[in-house]
Amino acid sequence: MNICGYYPESINEGEGLRASIFISGCRHRCPGCFSPATWNFKYGELFTEERQAEIILDIKNNPLLSGVSILGGDPFFSAEEVNDFIDLLRQEAGPVPIWIYTGYTFEELLAMPGTPEFGLLERCDVLVDGRFIKNLRDPSLLYRGSSNQRIIRISESLAAQKVIDWEPLYSF
Amino acid sequence: MALLNRIYTDQEQMLDEVIHLGEEIVASSNLDALRENANLNGESFSGKMSKFGSEYAKWYANHFVMPNHLVQAIQDNIVYVHDLDQYAIGTTNCIFIPFDKLLAGGFNTGNGSVRPPNSIMTAMALVAIIFQSQQNAQYGGVSANKLDYDLAPYVSKSFVKYFRKGLDYFEEGDEAADLGEISMGRSDLQEQYPRTFKYASKETESETLQAAESLIHNLNTMSSRAGGQIPFTSINYGTCTSPEGQLVIQSLLKATMRGLGSGETPVFPIQIFKCKQGVNQEKEDPNYHLFLMAAECSAKRLYPNFANLDAPLNLQYYDPANPDTEFATMGCRTRVLSDRFGRNHLSGKGNLSFNTINLVKLGLEHGIALGRRREADERGFYRELKHYMDIATDGLLHRFEIQSRQKAKASDFMMREGVWEGGEHLSPDDQVGDLLKHGSLSIGFIGLAECMKALYGKHHGEDEEVYRKAYDLISYMRKYCDEQSKRHNLNITLFATPAEGLSGKFTKRDRAVYGKVSEIVDREYYTNSFHIPVYYTISAAKKIELEAPFHDLCNAGAISYIELDGNARNNPAAFINIVKFALSKQVSYFSINHPIDRCTSCGYEGIIGATCPSCGQHENDVHIRRLRRVTGYLTGDYQTRFNAAKQAEVRDRVKHGI
Repeated sequence: MNICGYYPESINEGEGLRASIFISGCRHRCPGCFSPATWNFKYGELFTEERQAEIILDIKNNPLLSGVSILGGDPFFSAEEVNDFIDLLRQEAGPVPIWIYTGYTFEELLAMPGTPEFGLLERCDVLVDGRFIKNLRDPSLLYRGSSNQRIIRISESLAAQKVIDWEPLYSF
Repeated sequence: MALLNRIYTDQEQMLDEVIHLGEEIVASSNLDALRENANLNGESFSGKMSKFGSEYAKWYANHFVMPNHLVQAIQDNIVYVHDLDQYAIGTTNCIFIPFDKLLAGGFNTGNGSVRPPNSIMTAMALVAIIFQSQQNAQYGGVSANKLDYDLAPYVSKSFVKYFRKGLDYFEEGDEAADLGEISMGRSDLQEQYPRTFKYASKETESETLQAAESLIHNLNTMSSRAGGQIPFTSINYGTCTSPEGQLVIQSLLKATMRGLGSGETPVFPIQIFKCKQGVNQEKEDPNYHLFLMAAECSAKRLYPNFANLDAPLNLQYYDPANPDTEFATMGCRTRVLSDRFGRNHLSGKGNLSFNTINLVKLGLEHGIALGRRREADERGFYRELKHYMDIATDGLLHRFEIQSRQKAKASDFMMREGVWEGGEHLSPDDQVGDLLKHGSLSIGFIGLAECMKALYGKHHGEDEEVYRKAYDLISYMRKYCDEQSKRHNLNITLFATPAEGLSGKFTKRDRAVYGKVSEIVDREYYTNSFHIPVYYTISAAKKIELEAPFHDLCNAGAISYIELDGNARNNPAAFINIVKFALSKQVSYFSINHPIDRCTSCGYEGIIGATCPSCGQHENDVHIRRLRRVTGYLTGDYQTRFNAAKQAEVRDRVKHGI
């Protein structure tokens, strides 16, 4: 698996200061995507054990982080490897809250029980879901690109079997 | 007049210098001199007129006033005398204004007397007038250290007025009835006269907000300072918990968020929110909602900054019964709290002057960077540092003598009205020395990072051992100041110099001597005070942890910044967490920098790349106003108002949160 971006501290991909990791490869191919280069699974750098260890150490040593955000590409196309990484991360750095971005909808993922994709969903705390739709683009939206995309609390939504929206901790 | 400075004895050369000074100003040919101060338009008529005065005054001080060894130290490019143009005439630097006293007793501006205000609207108008009158009695900043407490009584006056009217309008009672002290916190009155109380509250809220809006407009529009400058105003607030004080805070924040006429971010006053555990830091604290609102305002408008009343150096003087003991700052970071003569409060005094040491040059002379030696010559370094600190101190003392000899009438408003505590008891011809001793004389420093790099090959963000050496160096400087305070029986303090005009000056002259020295003299500026260099990649938390201990050493003031990239207003949690983290690490004064761009075509504010995300206009076609902070002050548009060194520093800043 390749990654095509890593920001040790970001304020643009989820609540609080977060470490953001971009996983290469996406088959949704949304028209108007802001980074079509990342559709290619070979794009970026190989996510080696050393690189993983480095990033995990950054996260572990940064008391200001509210958590980690995993984006792409679309991490759900590399679900098995991302699952392994998350397990390693939590083994080393404790219960790190994770936001995950995908072009799938929550309902699509819900219909895949038993798959690595469903496992990835279960591992994370907040899901930003849905394809990017060009004519629904709105730069004023928080943490997402088009207004069809939702920010979802995963465990509550799984328990209720329906989407429960995430609410910000503070709002300005 | 005797020619004191024998470095120039050639009369013809002196005449050439004086003529050249004028030519540069007339032709606007030296842009860096014109933009030395981001707040002054040096290309305007009044800006040039003021430059004529100040450039000649500097020249005069150099040749005829300052002691020889001080002039030599300036020539050596190791000591810098700030506001040299004010040296010869003995002007003082900055002050915290006792607004409570001035408003309660009324005051005289010199042209006429002003009665105490009877409403919050008038009180806020008078605040602007007091700032303006005081500004011209000195050369530096003017600050309100507790504006919420100062103005709360006038919110009450407005409320009482509306309440009495309401009793009559709504026929709930007798307008002149004796109801004890009527205030916004009287729930018994609210129960007994509900309609009246509601009316009075609404009217008072609306009047206070209007008053705050007009104050902020006034402080951005009165170019009453020499050279067409706007007064350098700062206002501190956040801890007053009466409903009236809370309303003042809330209204100032609301007005700031609304912005000026067309919604643009106000550049003045600098605003500082005072953070105190038990008052506004946790959910259950009475002013917690105002702390959140301050964070929101800061994420939208860059102000307020955050003052930490719980940092040990500030907490030691804190008396919960006396808001004048609450730490506050001049916006640029100047701190004046303790006084060896017992005035351990803020208002009624200020800093008198400061001289800054160029640590980088001392580092180059005694370090390994120039290839002259393999190990840093620490003994030589400290010997020379002490030599120059002695000279810097002499300079402060010499200047203090000049300041002390001045008559009260020279700083007119400041003394006559008792803005400087006790001034009101002086006759116009009395000398002011005995009062000025309550102020501070400060030694500042610049370029700790490059100094370490020059001495040891690494700066204090890169290596733990170098960090300890850096900390020891600043501890030494602080100890030196404490010893000099005792020796001269004056308040001599250590300052983390903001160095707006200075950031490029030292560098330019060092470069002429040493050429480009990699990672030391290869940029257009030296790093601010003890900061980790803006170009060095480091996590926000680590930067805060490394800089925090230096705050405790710099008793004349310091600030730490974190640079955020991205739209800070969209991520309140990140913003609030960073502020709280900095406070928990005992940073005394803190602020978050983040870009605010404004499209002048559609008014969109946020981050704008080449094209506006709202209206799609390109920066080649419409002006994108890019607001940035320099040394604590905002400046309208950094590409036209910053000097070259500061523009370079802004470009180099490493951002957290891409």
